Amino acid sequence: MGVLEKSKSILTFILVVVLSSCGGSDEPSPVDDDSKDREAILIHWADNIIKPSYNNFSSKLDVMVSKADEFTASPTNSSLLEFRSAWLAAYTEWQKVELFEFGPADKYTLRNFFNIYPADVSGIAANINDPAANLEVPASYPRQGFPTLDYLINGTGGNDAAILQYYTTDADAPKRIAYVDKLVSRMSTLLSNVVTEWNGTYRDTFVASTGLDIGSSMGAVVNAYVLYYERYIRSGKIGIPAGIIGTMVGAPYPEKVEAYYKRDISKSLVKTAHQAAIDFFNGKSINGGSEGPSLKSYLDGLGAKDPSSGTSLSTIINDQFSTINNKVDLLSSDFYNQIQTNNQAMVDVYTNMQTEVRYLKVDMTSAMSITITYTDNDGD
Amino acid sequence: MKTYFQKSTSAAPLAVLRIALGLLLFVSIIRFWAKGWIHQLYIEPKYFFPFFGFEFVTSPGEYIYIIFAVCGISAFLFAIGFFYRIASIMLFLSFTFIELIDKSTYLNHYYFVSMICLIMIFLPAHVYFSIDAYRNRSLAFEKIPQWCVDTVKLFVCLIYLFAGLAKINSEWLLNAQPLRIWLPSKNDLPFIGSIFNYVWVAYVFSWLGCLYDLSIPFLLLNRQTRLFAYGAVIIFHILTAILFPIGMFPYIMIATALIFFSPDFHIKLLNKIASLFGKAQPLVIAGSRFEHNAIMKSLVLSFFIIFFLIQTLMPFRYLAYPGELFWTEEGYRFSWRVMLMEKSGNAQFMVKDKEGKYAAIENREFLTPLQEKMMATQPDMILQYAHILRDHYAALGWVAPEVYVDSYVAMNGRLGKPLIDPLTDLAKQEDSFSHKPWILPLNNEIKGF
Repeated sequence: MGVLEKSKSILTFILVVVLSSCGGSDEPSPVDDDSKDREAILIHWADNIIKPSYNNFSSKLDVMVSKADEFTASPTNSSLLEFRSAWLAAYTEWQKVELFEFGPADKYTLRNFFNIYPADVSGIAANINDPAANLEVPASYPRQGFPTLDYLINGTGGNDAAILQYYTTDADAPKRIAYVDKLVSRMSTLLSNVVTEWNGTYRDTFVASTGLDIGSSMGAVVNAYVLYYERYIRSGKIGIPAGIIGTMVGAPYPEKVEAYYKRDISKSLVKTAHQAAIDFFNGKSINGGSEGPSLKSYLDGLGAKDPSSGTSLSTIINDQFSTINNKVDLLSSDFYNQIQTNNQAMVDVYTNMQTEVRYLKVDMTSAMSITITYTDNDGD
Repeated sequence: MKTYFQKSTSAAPLAVLRIALGLLLFVSIIRFWAKGWIHQLYIEPKYFFPFFGFEFVTSPGEYIYIIFAVCGISAFLFAIGFFYRIASIMLFLSFTFIELIDKSTYLNHYYFVSMICLIMIFLPAHVYFSIDAYRNRSLAFEKIPQWCVDTVKLFVCLIYLFAGLAKINSEWLLNAQPLRIWLPSKNDLPFIGSIFNYVWVAYVFSWLGCLYDLSIPFLLLNRQTRLFAYGAVIIFHILTAILFPIGMFPYIMIATALIFFSPDFHIKLLNKIASLFGKAQPLVIAGSRFEHNAIMKSLVLSFFIIFFLIQTLMPFRYLAYPGELFWTEEGYRFSWRVMLMEKSGNAQFMVKDKEGKYAAIENREFLTPLQEKMMATQPDMILQYAHILRDHYAALGWVAPEVYVDSYVAMNGRLGKPLIDPLTDLAKQEDSFSHKPWILPLNNEIKGF
């Protein structure tokens, strides 16, 4: 636009304003106070989603711990199979709590100790030989948690007999048994730290922090949620093994899939995790499944929409979730195989997840006036 | 005209401004230091985003603390009027140097501070109620030329007027953007919070804000409305301090607006302060008038003519660019466009080389969270970052690296869309003051200034 045209547009605008100010505004205003009540959302999250999810996971983990104890007490074919199925059930349930990495889970960095993969096989061997190995340092993250158990019960031999031998007749068997025990009881302790805090005073602290600035509950939840979706679902489960992101990529890394040794559950894990993210967005109660105050209802209350089409932002986000679900359904249950035979299907999932990342990270946070990756600073 | 330049007024108003501004800046520097922002903003980053033409200004690493120390000390000396001329020059230079290091930290109020410090270098703010005047009686005067005080008033008026003009657009007045996004986020404030759930409140705030900016200069200039206007200044700026994280700015503006009060008010104020220190009143020879010498006077006046010419033209330079100002931000900075946009973005960079190497960039490996956030919505910073990436990979031995960006920006309640042409190799684009043709159009006209 030239200067003349711009001046014209300014003059037209002033005219419009002057004229319209004589008329009055016909702006439809969503005056639904409750939907913008952040305390109600925080209460629903805490009482009907987060705490019940941790309880469910906790009971699955307890079963896994007892099955692991039976296995380590007497490693037999049947105790191995039972340990495995309890591991799978707990790993699946974990996918429904991994997104809550704020508050207590963030304080104890639960994810670091539960689900960092691929497992570090030589590091695990070193730790087995050193009973005093430090499991708190970053290098130890891929030497514990579900991915390491995956290796220990699915990857230490070519078949079940070989795996059993690893824990029975081999010279190092007692040390290996001890390491399994150590890892499992460690997971149990870490989780109970988090659950205890949620069942204690943290719940009230969480609910009372109703702002949106640094340190507020909703700010922390949304940041953790968006980060989880981007870095741990999109990148971790899909993008990195498919060779789409990271430096010097190009070739896929099928050995970086989640549950690499179990092999045929990568898809069911991503589906569970993705559904948990969808349900959280919609505020679906864990018990009963009804929807309550949520990111969706808050966005609707704010009237967030695409002004050009009139479609609400929550609908756009949910439609994209469905598109992704359909793309994930096309994948093989075994991502290792999928990546080597038809990586394009993985790329399709990634691309659609990237679109969703933008809706969540840019459009949603902008509509809610939440800052992504808070830095303490002045604005103007 | 000539008689205007011979008019005299009390030296007290400038002295009050000097003290208030100096002390507030002194506190600002201490606050900045105490919050750990010096390290976070000027030492932690691996790269910086200098302003076009000021690429030579860069962070000196740990020595930045010395610059902040100089800035803080000069602010204090400035306040007490001790070696005023040197202190004011050092204050201007050190503050401006810091602000020029990284665009990510650009704030209109930092620019305001730089400019008011620049103005103060040329004004006789130290001839009254200062250590300089106390130590050297030949520097002490009761009167100064009227235009010296008016210069400051003119500058403050210009800022309010331009800030007001910038609000006369369809986003602000017709859509109540971005306040309708920002206000509900404060609906948990005690007492007033719940009103922010209503869209009409955002309209009221938008219209009142615009009217405030456009009318406050005149209300402050007029003796009859001055007290009312100053009340409005206090309410307006305190409200913004409650609603938005804008640091010291509200207090700086509240203090600066004191300049509009009568000499009597300032003399009384200073006498009160003097009595606190056990002095009856400032010692000056009644009727003595400060005057720049002839050469200095013409230099200083020429400087101010150029200064105000630039200040008046800068906010209009956007007219020289095609496209929507809010979207391209070509000509946006240094124009007193304050709090006009809720803008957020995401930029995924890709680097390729001639031998088929390819990298998808994790921004956090190169930038701080603040830098990444600012870069993602500002085309000139996107280009600077693309060059940082190009040079980084070239240094790693990549052959003629190409840099592309997949960008996505949401502005004032619109659904996000790409900001930059994803097919443009940014490694080959050069920065300049001319229009950047690789910025994609908003395709949505914003009417008004």
